[in-house]
Amino acid sequence: MAPSVLLVAVFLLAPFVWTIHRSFFADTRTSPFSWFDNYTRFASDPALTRSIQNTLLWVVGTVVLPFVLGLAIACMTDATRFSRLARLCVVLPYALSGSAVAVVWNFMLTTDGAVNQVLTSVGLDSFAQGWLLTWPGNTLVMILANAWQATGVAVILFLVGLQSIPPETLEAGSLDGAGSWQQFRHIVLPQLRPVSIIVIGMSLVNGLKSFDLIWVLTQGGPGRATETLAVSMYNETFLELRPGAGAAIAVVLTVIVLAASWLYLRRQLDVKGE
Amino acid sequence: MTMSLGRVLRTGTVAVLALLWLVPTWLLVVNALVPAESYSGSPHWLPTEFGLFDNMSQAWDKANLGPAFGNSLLYSVVSALAAAVLAAGAAFATIIMPVKHRALWFWVIYSGTLLPLQVFIRPLFLSYAESSLYDTQFGLVLIYTAIAIPFAFFVMRNYALTLPKEVVEAARLDGASWWRLFWQIHVPLTRSAMIAVFVFQFVAVWNDLMFGITLTTSRNIRPVMAALADLQGNYSNVGPPVVLAGALLVSLPTLVLFFSAQRFFISSLRIHR
Repeated sequence: MAPSVLLVAVFLLAPFVWTIHRSFFADTRTSPFSWFDNYTRFASDPALTRSIQNTLLWVVGTVVLPFVLGLAIACMTDATRFSRLARLCVVLPYALSGSAVAVVWNFMLTTDGAVNQVLTSVGLDSFAQGWLLTWPGNTLVMILANAWQATGVAVILFLVGLQSIPPETLEAGSLDGAGSWQQFRHIVLPQLRPVSIIVIGMSLVNGLKSFDLIWVLTQGGPGRATETLAVSMYNETFLELRPGAGAAIAVVLTVIVLAASWLYLRRQLDVKGE
Repeated sequence: MTMSLGRVLRTGTVAVLALLWLVPTWLLVVNALVPAESYSGSPHWLPTEFGLFDNMSQAWDKANLGPAFGNSLLYSVVSALAAAVLAAGAAFATIIMPVKHRALWFWVIYSGTLLPLQVFIRPLFLSYAESSLYDTQFGLVLIYTAIAIPFAFFVMRNYALTLPKEVVEAARLDGASWWRLFWQIHVPLTRSAMIAVFVFQFVAVWNDLMFGITLTTSRNIRPVMAALADLQGNYSNVGPPVVLAGALLVSLPTLVLFFSAQRFFISSLRIHR
């Protein structure tokens, strides 16, 4: 146990405490104590306001899309014959890294990329555009790219959940004359609750922390239009060289992630180990 | 009649979704096949010539993927292995051994998964710069191991909870030391969970970009995703087929590992109560 505790304490917990401490100091080298200046910047800096908006969009988009699509695909491919093949198409992107996904989607979205090519060839030239250039479109297409990758794991988890539903309950349901929608609504969905909580919790936390997709696709730009809190923190700290502001963003992000985790963890964890 | 209509609709929806999902993957593969010289500037939809290996070798050279591959392999294998063994030890200590304050130790270790990585990175960057761990392979192995431990611990602990306590009690009565118990009983019994943890953390370390670009500068230290991001930065110079071939190349190890171990590690993620 000691090595684990030591590594975690030295490499994770100590830097965490140091970051909190740093967030109360100004960005200059001499670092005078500055109370909550770095935090009030959230309200006054338009780049950070945009960053918060983007983070909210990401959270909604990364929770809702993989959940709905994952559930739908898992339920619909649970029985049909060519389902294994269809499922493979959806699960495959999950094995790619965020950076590789960004490379693929850049290819789709650049001005002379695949999406614009399709639009032009079917006569919808007016819809062809620089997908990554204007807000909020650029953030939305990145959320779609993320959903393309993240739905795979939701499908797998929901399938595990579906297979653990005893078939007798479904048979009983159909004997009582429940239609397939009613069966889904009143029998399947309630039994998928534990899995749903895991899927939502995972997507929520991953959406908040997502870094590599945005970084490789736009580096948070153009300007700072596509930054989320995770990217803003990196930008402020390492590019704008404002470590105090960066630390404050990291702390705010941590508070949000902790609050989000708490919502699902308290249902899932039994800490005492009995 | 309504049944079959429903089935048709369902099959149709699944087919459309699957096709939509396949499009980016399809384009990735088809355009990675196009020889870089003959790429016309607009995406191809059907494979014509076969230039994949040539593109891959160009990506390999231009992004210096060789050392990056070796580095990422080292980081992923060593960190994932270390995390699996250390987390197994921690799980053994907090579940099997009579340790005080179990809940406290649990939270000390587990808290690592709850914190976003962004919160560690600047202090690490600074202390690495001062302690000459910066831009070294050892430094990256250390941080990747530290990041991997909390989640590995969570899985190993869930698994350790399901082990029969009688085995341990019997061995204790026979006078076995804790150390012996851990290596000869606990590790063999939890082997499948350890492999699952190893696979999971291998993939996580392999895919990391942020620590890779922050804690390294040299081409012979940086991991593979940093090299890929660099190649993507040269998109217009090297041409899309080479970049796509590079993305495919660096994804191969995790693709293979993921699909060979998929069932295995999903089942170990289920939460035991």
